This record gives sequence, C-alpha cells and structure tokens, in this order.
Amino acid sequence: MSAVIPAPQLPAPAPARSPGVWRAAWQRLRHDRVGMACLMIVGAFAVLILIATLGLIAADWQREVGLPYAPPAFVGPDRDEAQQAIAAPKGPPVDLSDVDPLAPRYAEWRERAARFQTAETVKSPTLPFGGDRLGRDVLAKAIKGAQISIFVGVFAALLATLIGTVLGALGGYVGGKVGDFLEWVYNVFTSIPDILLIFAFAAVFGRGIETVILILGLAGWTGMYRQVRAEYIKHRTREYVRAAEAIGVSHRARMFVHILPNVSHVILVRLSLLVVGFIKAEVILSFLGLGVPVDQVSWGTMLAEANVELVLGKWWQLAAATAFMATFVTAFSLLTDALRDALDPKLR
Amino acid sequence: MVPTLAGVILLVFFLFKYFGGDPAEILGGLLATPEQIESIREQLGLNRPVWQQLWIFVQQIATFDWGRSWATSEAVSHIFATRLPATLTVMIPILVLEIALAIPLALGVAYVRGTLTDRGIMVLTTVALSISFLVYIIVGQWLFGFYLGWFPVQGWSDSFLVNLSRYAVLPIVLAVLVGLAPQTRLYRSFFLDEIGHDYVRTARAKGLSEQRIMLKHVLRNAMIPILTNVAVVLPGVFIGSFLIEVFFSIPGLGREVLLAVNRSDYPVIQAVTVYLAALTMVINLLADVLYKVVDPRVVLK
Amino acid sequence: MTPLVSVSNLRVAFRLGRESTVEAVRGVSFDIPANTTVALVGESGSGKTVSAMSILRLLVAHPGRLRQIRGRDITAVFQEPMTSLNPVFTVGDQIAEVLQLHRGLPRRQAFEQTADLLHEVGIPEPRARVSAYPHELSGGQQQRVMIAMAIANQPKLLIADEPTTALDVTIQRQVLELIARLRERHRMSVLFISHDLALVGEIADQVVVMRDGEVQEHGPVERIFRAPQHPYTKGLLACRPRLDVRPRRLPVIDDFMRSTEPKDPGPLERPSEASTVVEAKGLRKEFRLKTGLFSSKALHAVREVSFSLARGRTVGLVGESGSGKTTVGMLLMRLLDASAGEVRFEGTDLLALSDRQMMAYRRRIQVVFQNPYASLNPRFTIGQMLTEPMRVHRLGANETDRAERARRLLQRVELPPESFHKYPHEFSGGQRQRIAIARALAVEPEVLICDESVSALDVSVQATVLNLLLDLQEEQGLAYLFISHDLAVVKYMADEILVMREGEVVERGPSEALFRAPRHDYTKNLLGAIPRGIEGRV
Repeated sequence: MSAVIPAPQLPAPAPARSPGVWRAAWQRLRHDRVGMACLMIVGAFAVLILIATLGLIAADWQREVGLPYAPPAFVGPDRDEAQQAIAAPKGPPVDLSDVDPLAPRYAEWRERAARFQTAETVKSPTLPFGGDRLGRDVLAKAIKGAQISIFVGVFAALLATLIGTVLGALGGYVGGKVGDFLEWVYNVFTSIPDILLIFAFAAVFGRGIETVILILGLAGWTGMYRQVRAEYIKHRTREYVRAAEAIGVSHRARMFVHILPNVSHVILVRLSLLVVGFIKAEVILSFLGLGVPVDQVSWGTMLAEANVELVLGKWWQLAAATAFMATFVTAFSLLTDALRDALDPKLR
Repeated sequence: MVPTLAGVILLVFFLFKYFGGDPAEILGGLLATPEQIESIREQLGLNRPVWQQLWIFVQQIATFDWGRSWATSEAVSHIFATRLPATLTVMIPILVLEIALAIPLALGVAYVRGTLTDRGIMVLTTVALSISFLVYIIVGQWLFGFYLGWFPVQGWSDSFLVNLSRYAVLPIVLAVLVGLAPQTRLYRSFFLDEIGHDYVRTARAKGLSEQRIMLKHVLRNAMIPILTNVAVVLPGVFIGSFLIEVFFSIPGLGREVLLAVNRSDYPVIQAVTVYLAALTMVINLLADVLYKVVDPRVVLK
Repeated sequence: MTPLVSVSNLRVAFRLGRESTVEAVRGVSFDIPANTTVALVGESGSGKTVSAMSILRLLVAHPGRLRQIRGRDITAVFQEPMTSLNPVFTVGDQIAEVLQLHRGLPRRQAFEQTADLLHEVGIPEPRARVSAYPHELSGGQQQRVMIAMAIANQPKLLIADEPTTALDVTIQRQVLELIARLRERHRMSVLFISHDLALVGEIADQVVVMRDGEVQEHGPVERIFRAPQHPYTKGLLACRPRLDVRPRRLPVIDDFMRSTEPKDPGPLERPSEASTVVEAKGLRKEFRLKTGLFSSKALHAVREVSFSLARGRTVGLVGESGSGKTTVGMLLMRLLDASAGEVRFEGTDLLALSDRQMMAYRRRIQVVFQNPYASLNPRFTIGQMLTEPMRVHRLGANETDRAERARRLLQRVELPPESFHKYPHEFSGGQRQRIAIARALAVEPEVLICDESVSALDVSVQATVLNLLLDLQEEQGLAYLFISHDLAVVKYMADEILVMREGEVVERGPSEALFRAPRHDYTKNLLGAIPRGIEGRV
C-alpha cells in the first residue's frame, strides 16, 4: 500500500468515552477466551497464595498428619505397604537392659516425654493427595510450595526488571560514555553462561529465599536490559520525543514521562516471561539444594524428595508438585501470550 | 573482547573476595586453630594488598595454573582435562540433534501457520514447557531405565564408544526431547518473522511454489537469527546439562561445578567461570565470521 | 477487441475481529486492454492496491495454474525495492530464478540472459552487477532490478504498485521513462498504481480514479485531465499546488464535492519588507563515522549554509534525500549540535547559549515534523499534549487557564473541542498534523520549522493543512522555514528558496525567479522531473 493515512473525510467511528491504550488492551483481552480463562486460573492461584500467606491454610504443612507414605484418598489405604512400614521384628523380644547403660533411665525419660505429648494424633491411613516420607500432607505441601515458588519467581522477576529497565533506559537514552560502560557490564554478564553465573553467585551468597531472589535477579536482568535499551534507542529519535525536546522538556521527563509509558507493554510482557523462567529456575535450584532452606518447602524440594519416592512406587508427591506447577505455568504462559496480543494488535 | 575478559576477571575476583566466605576458614575447616588459619592466609597471599592479590589471580589465569581444588587436592587443570570429555560426549550430540530436528520441525509448523495443527502444536509445546525439566528426567529415568529396563539407569565407562552407545543414549534422548519444544517455538518465530517480509511477496509474484519459498528464500534468511541463537547456547555445551550429569552420574564438568558450589571449592568455580567466559568470546568471534557467510550485508572489520 | 484482463464487480473484505469485517473494495470493474497502460489512481484507503493485487490472486482459482501465470504472464513491481528483494541472494540469482522456473533454462544460460536484462533496464556494468547483492545497489538501481525480474519472461501484464513513491524525484522520472520504454518494446500492458494524478498523467493511456473502494471515474487520460466529469476528480486535479499561479488559498476537495466550485481567491499577497528574526550563518555539521578502531571518516551533512528568516515570510529548503535539509532544521533549533556557524535570534547567537539560557528561545522556535503518526505521543491525551509545553514555559496562570488556552488552540486548527480528552490514535493523519501544529503554537512561537510537514499526507488533506499554515502565518506574522522534497509545494509556500544537494546550497533565489530561470544544472534537473500531468507525457 502507499502511505497509509486515512482521508479525513472518512467518518471515524467516535466512541463516547476515549479509551486509553491500557483500556483498549483490556477490551481486547476480554474478548480472548483462552486469555480470560488463564487469567482466572492465575487469579485463583493468587487467592490461594494470599490465603496461605495469611496462614489460613497449609500453615501446618509440617505436621505429620498421616502414616508415612499414606496414599491418596482416591487410591485407598495400601494394606501391604502399611504392614511393611510397621513390621515388627520377628523372633522373641530380647531384653537389652543388661547391656544398655542407659536402660535404667528409660522410664524417667518416657515419663518426661509424656508431659509434652499432650495428645497423640491419630495418623490417618490416607490423605487427600497422599503423604510423604514423614506422613506430611502432600496437598498442603504443594500449596505452601506454590506460595514460595511463585513468590520467589515474581520477586526475582521484579528485581531483574528493575535493574534491567533502569540500566536499559540509561544506556539507550543517554548513550555515549555511559552507554558504552553499560554495554561493557552487559557483555561481562552475558559472556558467562547463565547457569554458571547463578552457581557462582550461589557459591558466595549462601542459601535462603531472599538469596535465591537476589541471585536470580542479578543473573537474569540482561535480557530485559537489552530489550529496554533497544526500545529506548528506537524511541529516543522518534518525532514525539524530538518534539518534546523542542518544547524544552527535561531529559528525565522525556525518559520517564514520555518514553517509559510507550515501552511499558514490552517490559510487562518480558516481566511475565521472566516470572515463568525464574519459577522453573527456583525449582531446579531448590532441587539441587541451592535454593530455599530445608525448613521451607517449594515445588523444587518436593521434586527432590519425589526422585527417590518414585522408585518405591510412591508417585503422588511427584504428581502433585508437577500438576500444580504445570497448571500455573501453562496458565501464566498463555496469559502472557494473550497479553502480548492484546497490547500489540499489529502482531496478529 | 579484551575489556570484556578483564571485566569478567574483575567480577569474579571481587565477587569471591568481598562476598564469599573467608577462604582460609573454608580451607582450614571447623577445627583449625587461629595459627593454622593465619598460615593458610599467608600461603594464599590473603594478607597482601588487594592489587597484589588481583595480580596473582591474573597470573594464575594467564599461566593456566590454578593450583589445587580445596576439597580434593586434585589439580584444577586435571579436573578440566578429565571431566570435559564426558560432558562433550553427551552435549555435542544433544546440540546437533536438537538443531537438526528443530529446523525442519519449525519449518513445517511455520508452513502450516495459522491452521489448527499449528495452534495445536503451539498449545502442546506451551504445556510441555510448563513442566519442569526435572520431572522429565525423573520420570524418563524411572520409566526407561528402571521400569522398562531399556537403558542402564546410570553409569559411565572409560571407553568413548561404550559411553556413547550405552550410557549416553538415555540422557541424550531425554534432553533432546525436552529441548525440542522451546527450540521449535523459537525457530518457528524466526521463520514467521521472515515470512512477513516483502521479499516473500516478490517470490510469490514470481510464481514460486510455497514450498520453494520456504526452503530457499525464507530458510536462508532465517539462518541468520538461528546462527545467533546457536552462538548463544554453544558455550553452555561445556558446562553441560548439569542436571543430566547429576541424575545419570556422568563424571562431567557440570556435575563437578555443582559439587564445587556445594563444597565452596572456589578455585574450581573461578577457573570454570573465567575460562568459559573466554570461550564464549572465541565462539562469538567465530560466529561473526560465520555471519559473513550467511549474510552478505555483514562487513568484517 | 477483447481486453487482456477484465475485472468486473470485484469485492474484497477484510476481517477485523471475530465478527466485524471491513470492505476495502466494493464492486470495482475495469478492463485492461492489450498493449496499454492503465492507471489506478486514488488516495490511501481507496482500495487501489488491493484491487490490483487481487488480479494476481484471484485470476485463476486453482493455485497450480495461478503459479504458472504469476511471474510469466503477469508480473509485479512494488513500492519498496530494498525490502522487496531478498537480501541474501545476488540480484543475478533472483532474476535467473524466474527464467529457470518458467522457461526451464539451464543455470548458465539463465545467468547470461540476466546480464542482458540488467543492461536493458539501464544498469551500468551489467556483467559485474549480476553477482552484486541488493544492498550494494542504490534505490533506483534496486527498482531497475525488480523491473528486470518482471520483464524477464516477456509478460503480458506488468503490475506496478507505486513503483516510484520511495524514490527521489529525479530517479522517479528515470524509472517512469524506463517503464514506458519497456512497455513499448515488449508490447505488454501496464497496470500503474499511484496516488499522484500528475504522475499518472505522464504515463497512462487509461485512468481509473478510485475512492473508498469504488471507481469514481474511468476514461482515457485526455478526457480525465481536460474534461473531468466527477467532482472528486476535479478536486484532485485542482488541489495540488500549481507551478504557474499562486492563489491566496488552495481549492480543497470538499468544495468540489459540495458542488460549490470555488471562485478565484486571487493571488497570494506577501509582505515584502519585513524584519529579520533569525539569521543562520555558515552552518556546518559533520558526523564522524567510525571506520576502524582508531580511524574515522568525516561525513559532511551540512556545509556553509546561511539564510535569514523574516516575520511573516517563508524560506523554502528543497532537496532530495541525503541533501541535509532536515539537518539544517535540527541545527537551527539545536536538536543537533552544529559543528560550526551561528544562529542569531534577534542578534543573540543561539549556538553559544547554555541549556538554561536556551530555554527562553525554545519557546520562540517550534517545529512540525513529517510523520503525523510518530510525532504525537500515543500515551498522552491531546489535552496533556497541548498543556505540557505551556507548563514547561510557565504560560497561563493555572491548569484551568491552560486548558482554556488549549481549547482555543484546537478551535483555531479547526478541530472539535471534544478532542481535548482523546488520544492520537483516534485521529486521521491530517487531523494529527493539525494537533502537531496546535502543540507548536501552544508556546506562541515566532519561528516555525515545517520539516516535510505535509509530505506524508494525501493531496486533498495536504491542501487543507497548507491553507491552515498560510492563515496562521498571516494572522500571527510567523516566520516559516519550510523544508520539503516536493518542489510544487515549496514553490507555493516559499518566498525565497534554497536548493540543497549533498549538504551544500547549490542555488538560491526568490521562488518565482528560481522557477522561471534556474541557473544550476541540478536545479534544472529537479524542475524537469516534477510530474506535470498530461503536459509532461513521457
């Protein structure tokens, strides 16, 4: 086509209320059935996490409420397994009191212990989604794991976005010496393979949820930087920015009031991609023991336990962690796709 | 290139110097006396000024002499020499197979773009991608190695051929299967980008068949971003799919690095990081030369 | 005689969303006789390109048959030669491909013919150029390669979709002559698609005027030009600025559509004696191109340009792409830093001021850019856009006052007051350019730089915006620097004209004199290349 400029004589459809760009994107998203379904799933997870954070559910995930490896309720209690687990040693009981130097004090200890054990819980033979090695409820673990894994993914992505956006905006807008310096930093970070960078950070920073967020954020900002920088370079010479300069608008206002809203959709989509990437990374790090500490649970620590369990035929912890993670990540990924389409209708 | 390498050296040096634990305490262990720790500090040069320590660090890099692993006293250079072959035995087939399979697959999907097949494959890959790599390995190893018994569950030998034909098969197959989905998606997007260009319209106006347009005009142009992508993932080959190595007990570099991280074995981590960064730069240089072959617009300086 | 191609009652609709469709072509019919050039003329959105491309798509239902016709019987040349050629194959490869495909020529023979074809379309050193890549050729040469590819198989019909729009005016003329010559020699028909009626008049035998997906008028070129029937055609012919007269006001299409033919507005009156506002002396700009690690090469974008702008008068800056004309505008308002020279605003050298001191002058020089889509921030409402400059320069007592001023500005550029709360995407190109003008006027400037401000607009819209600019100049005594590649528009707007080539001013003078008696060869060349409709037949 030639220069595509509609003639002014064409009666432009004039909506009563002018939709801004975000509102228009929301209208488009509302018509995307897959996108809306995914938004609901992601929303449901958000509610679940909120409730879990408030301690209303899954707060007691560490309680050993079932028998070790209690099967899921829909499978039913496994008699053979239960027998084996508590199989009494064969042969007559042997009295060890004459060889055991501590034997005289057993009674005393038992008495003391009884004072703390106010109520011996009845261990359930089955649990809704089965139990783990210690008889902890797998469903509760999966919910608590969702809280930790998603929390880590989201905050690490926010951190990486913050670093990448600020540096990318500076590098792209200011250019020159500052830009060269930032490019150098970028080159340094990208010349080390991601996973090695994460390992190196993990080696020096130790363990813990905050550490994982820090590590992932520090290792994962480069993609965001690259994209934001490219956008800023593109927009810096756009005529609307030139016009703002001609008017005398300050550099800071041009960077953040004029350009930033015009690249925000790019940042948002990239942020969503980072969340997915970081959730997966957290799972792997926790699996390797470099992620969340042992007194916490995440999808990754669940999978670490599941590795051994599968050989014993206890598949439910693996299934629970996988199902939770797959549902959330699929919904989030499809939502990201829908978001991208809604924000940039040209892409279709 | 030189400034970047200098940057990597500085990053690694200061990262471990100021954020890592005290090497002397790690080396000495929990039972070391203050005198012992002090002597270790002296040996490592930790009491000298920072710039001298940096100089020692640079010398180590330049002379390929990293001393010994703190945990096993094995020479770091020896670790490299013995672990790398295993990693490459697994990783090179993975990379080659992945690219060789993903290109035709992606080309096929791009050819039927917009159809139900295309959309179905895209949703399928999204779901497949949402499941952690871990799950595939856990289930794959259990199913093919343990339950069906088609492959050895783990193991490694000294013979390259035995390794490749026996022990590496399952890891390679699993990794390729898992890697195919993201790779196909990525390459498909490259192809779709190219299809949107004006020269495709020209090719259609010439009367070329759609197959020929895809195989000649689009494929050749899409090789440019594909090459970029390969150059990006190539350095990763040397650290290997460390997860694969851990699961299948393959004595490769990836597993070694992971062990080093768990043992706070700094020399090993530092050496691997610096050398891989250098390698990345060499690969980028080679990629630049290759660009010239693929893209006539590129002018080498 | 039966026509080569007959299009009857063609309809094309595009799907917009899940339910809604938009009809781009609504029952179009026309014939293309053998050995004839038919032109499809219309403004953007008229459906001319869609109609033409439908010929390539719909002629035969069966895709296999269609492919035999494409590239052999019917071929096409497009607007952007750079992107239309495949960047990774040599031009020889791409031309030989059609010969191999449709004629089954062996590779070597195909390449030999390719050299002959390149020679025929006027590419120097054709033997060597066979192995050149598209990026090694100039824009004009690239389009010649496209044409060589199109005529390789002796087609019956060549569809040329705006083949010269992306090219400079002198190159445009050459390509036009080439197409006319080839049509003659190969006895083929040409379907020539263009937005430019004057250009079409030079090459077409038959003209089809389209608007909003419908044919408005259709006939031999003489009749269309000498005795147009439809008011739209009349309007299109009248609203382009002419080289011979300078009326007070340009006629616009609406006048004709309302069938109130405009009466002669009389000649434009210009103030002769006026005080100088801005004086540019010896402006120079060099860009340094890095050629190696330590070596660099200076690129002279602008060298020794001087001129002065006076109140109520217009200086025109004309030149082809790469002439440095836009850079001059940027230097004048310090959007780029000049390498040398001075810009005196009522005696003060702007180039020597600090950023803070410059602020006061930023208010007094404003600019309106070319692209009406890129020059408005899509995330700002029109109200925000118009009040921001006032806030920066502390104009207006408070927000209510500024909003009031903004509404008055909207009224002045003939936009409805509701526009205040709307976003740019809700406006057409012409309306956006009015908004850009209003934004520039918000700070009450004395000098306005119009950098290709009407170049991206359809001719009918162009006329209304030019009229607005003239009115504003008269009312407020603005000094204009009018930058354009379009000689007719510059001639109409400017009192004095500077012709630029490769950063240098090659000729300058009062616009009438310059057009009547150009001295420099380049100026003569430029003037000779202006499309003149039926009088300028190639």
